[in-house]
Amino acid sequence: MGQFQSLLVDIPLQDNPSHHPPPQLSLKDSLWLGQFQAMASDCQILLEGVDQLQAETFLKLATIETWRIEHKFSRYKTGNTMDQINHAYKQALSVDDETTALLNFADQCYQLSDGLFDVTAGVLRKIWKFNGSDHIPTSQQIDEILPLIGWHKVHWKAQNIKLPEAMELDLGGIGKEYAVDKVRLLLQKKIPQTKDCRILINFGGDLACSGPRLNGEAWEVAVESFQHEKHAALNVKLNQGAIATSGDSRRFLLKEGVRYSHILNPRTGQAITDAPHSVSVAAPSCMQAGILSTMAMLQGRGAEDFLTAQGADFWVQRS
Amino acid sequence: MQLINSKSINESANSPATKKASQSFKKIAPALAAASCSLLGITDAIAQEDNGEWKFDVATLIYAESDSRVIAAEPVFNATKTYTDGEVLNVKLVFDTLTGASPNGATPSNTAQTFTRPSGNGQYIVDPNESPLDDTFKDTRGALSGTWTAPIDRDWEYTVGAYGSKEYDYLSLGLNGGLKRYFNQKNTALNFGLAFSADTIEPEGGNPLGLARMATPGTASFDADYDASRADSSDNKTIIDAIFGVTQVINTKTIMQFNYGLSLSDGYLNDPFKVLSVIDSSLGPNYGGNYQDGGNNVYLYESRPDSRMKHTLFWQTKYALDNGDVIDGSYRFMLDDWGITSHTLDFRYRWQLGDSYLEPHLRYYMQSEADFYKRYLTSDEYTANSIKEASSDERLSDMSAYTIGLKYGYKLSKTKEFNVRAEYYMQSHSGDNGFGQLASQDLYPDSNAIIFQVGYSF
Amino acid sequence: MKFKYIARSTSCLAIALALSACSNIGIKPWERDTLSRPEMQLIHDAVEAGLDDHIYFSKEASSGGRSFGGGGCGCN
Repeated sequence: MGQFQSLLVDIPLQDNPSHHPPPQLSLKDSLWLGQFQAMASDCQILLEGVDQLQAETFLKLATIETWRIEHKFSRYKTGNTMDQINHAYKQALSVDDETTALLNFADQCYQLSDGLFDVTAGVLRKIWKFNGSDHIPTSQQIDEILPLIGWHKVHWKAQNIKLPEAMELDLGGIGKEYAVDKVRLLLQKKIPQTKDCRILINFGGDLACSGPRLNGEAWEVAVESFQHEKHAALNVKLNQGAIATSGDSRRFLLKEGVRYSHILNPRTGQAITDAPHSVSVAAPSCMQAGILSTMAMLQGRGAEDFLTAQGADFWVQRS
Repeated sequence: MQLINSKSINESANSPATKKASQSFKKIAPALAAASCSLLGITDAIAQEDNGEWKFDVATLIYAESDSRVIAAEPVFNATKTYTDGEVLNVKLVFDTLTGASPNGATPSNTAQTFTRPSGNGQYIVDPNESPLDDTFKDTRGALSGTWTAPIDRDWEYTVGAYGSKEYDYLSLGLNGGLKRYFNQKNTALNFGLAFSADTIEPEGGNPLGLARMATPGTASFDADYDASRADSSDNKTIIDAIFGVTQVINTKTIMQFNYGLSLSDGYLNDPFKVLSVIDSSLGPNYGGNYQDGGNNVYLYESRPDSRMKHTLFWQTKYALDNGDVIDGSYRFMLDDWGITSHTLDFRYRWQLGDSYLEPHLRYYMQSEADFYKRYLTSDEYTANSIKEASSDERLSDMSAYTIGLKYGYKLSKTKEFNVRAEYYMQSHSGDNGFGQLASQDLYPDSNAIIFQVGYSF
Repeated sequence: MKFKYIARSTSCLAIALALSACSNIGIKPWERDTLSRPEMQLIHDAVEAGLDDHIYFSKEASSGGRSFGGGGCGCN
């Protein structure tokens, strides 16, 4: 058995609409590691119990699916589904089953969170610029933009969507977690019945696994510490399910000693001031974990109490 | 998940605010889990089962009627496999062993009665004042059926199935298919089904000719008489069933179904084992006694129409209570062109007790008699040859029936369950009470049966 | 023949009414957790339902309702 270095996996042009560099496959301590870029994150797939050909196939499938989701729901592409939705002002737009499912999910999260989770809140980025400076928006600026926020104002019924003028949808808050879950499902379906294969997916700190490692032990993942001073990586052990992390990752505004995190309250248009540096939640799926961690951040000082009340496994960093 | 450096968790867990916290925050975790599942296309049911694995049910039913009547044992073996794309394959094997005696349709008499066995081989004698029962019924039946259900797309689903059953003198083969259309985010489902069945009846000795006279055992002319009472040696029956149904989710705890069914049968619909007594209606010493011709009692084989059309309306509701109990109620109305109207009310209450459950069951059934139902024929009718169709089969009479039962189930694990049920079925009939000597006989004895079933699912 | 027409037209009307009224009744996909429980399925125990259907079909003049009438067993 020769020494395996690493190879680049070929992805056809039509499956790479964002022109990312090709994914890379390497072998690390009997584990296959596949790496690629997507959604402004380092994406990794760890595979155990497969041969090289299967590892290449799985990495290819995972990359194509992630890039597909990225391209479809990105706010920055012209002509994609998201762009069409964000211009559906005059006429209702009919969307496909996948988009319908995502919007239904967003609808339910809006109701469950009493409006704190709101996919129409993306317009707030126009007045809140998180660059470490002290420019916080004025109350007049906030008052002007608040009418453009509110999922209940969107016309969403039976696969047809129409937005009031100047409103926008932003699925960035759930896009990465959705991709993690979809890729996990996709790869699990491809594992032959006779094979014992384990998978760990890590898209920039949003993780999901198909079960413990083949030796029965948990996966050990290094999660970036969001502590401002220390850069020590944190080791997390994952046996089953998924972990999602919400963090401020150094995006904040500091004015008169008050730290305004980039977590914004859609109801008031204000930034949450007592938000933790990061919240990590474990749940059966990455989407669940992601929503819980986002909602926890929105509770500011009450993040831990909120997660305790939900009975979730979690870890909060505040300093 | 195990976290190293879980300082924050310990702190918040010990904080006095924790208890207060769970009270002030709405519990969203379960609804969120359900929302994620439906987004990712995984339903609770599939998530709970091992995807792609077989699920088996084995059960045995024992059915025992009072007064030395029918005893039946029926083992069932059922296997279901659910595939990852939502397709379902089901295979079922049933055996049916029947012994005991069934009413042959004749009336009891104050003298002994002798009947020819339906096969022509042998006879049986019924004591005076006893209900005439034919104990020829020793039979074993085997049936195999398979169905395949698969989604066509998000809104459509189809089913195809085949069925075969064989017993000594009866063969049945069938095909069925169905289409289901979902509406309104799967809150409404419209179902259409069609089944076609072809049956062949070949009793030993051949099928009797309708309203032909039963040959009297022990007479010189028995062989000739027996042959004269026979029709073709085999006869067929075809049945077409159609069903139209609507299933509707009413709210998070309630679901309803409403079906209309149409059934058309054509061919040999008689029961080859049933006869009618001819009762002497001439005034005299034998008024109300068995009519005799040539010194022997006259019994005629029954004769039913050769077609039947049934309409059925069915409504069912299931309601889940907050404590996990389930109420299940249904009503069925049937109307056919034989003049029978029936009503069925069925009620079950599932009482959840942790890993086990108790389910009491009540059923009420009522039917009106068929147009051609006659408990007996009179000699006037016989000699005038005025009756074209008649049957004294108690299953076609005015009837009411009650079932009361209790089922107990115990879940050994998420996928394994053991259950046992016991039910008591009471049926009573009514109709023309006869005249003369016949009026002193009990023409409509109640029939009661015990039903006992043990089952195991894994 | 008359009742056949009446029954058929009544049921067609009932289904049409049910459908039109049904377009707004219902629940969201994520509210299905109670209804997806096995004991909430319309036919929860198919084996028991099949055995009972066979008994009542053999002893009474009616059959079916939930599924196809008759079992092809020669019980008449």
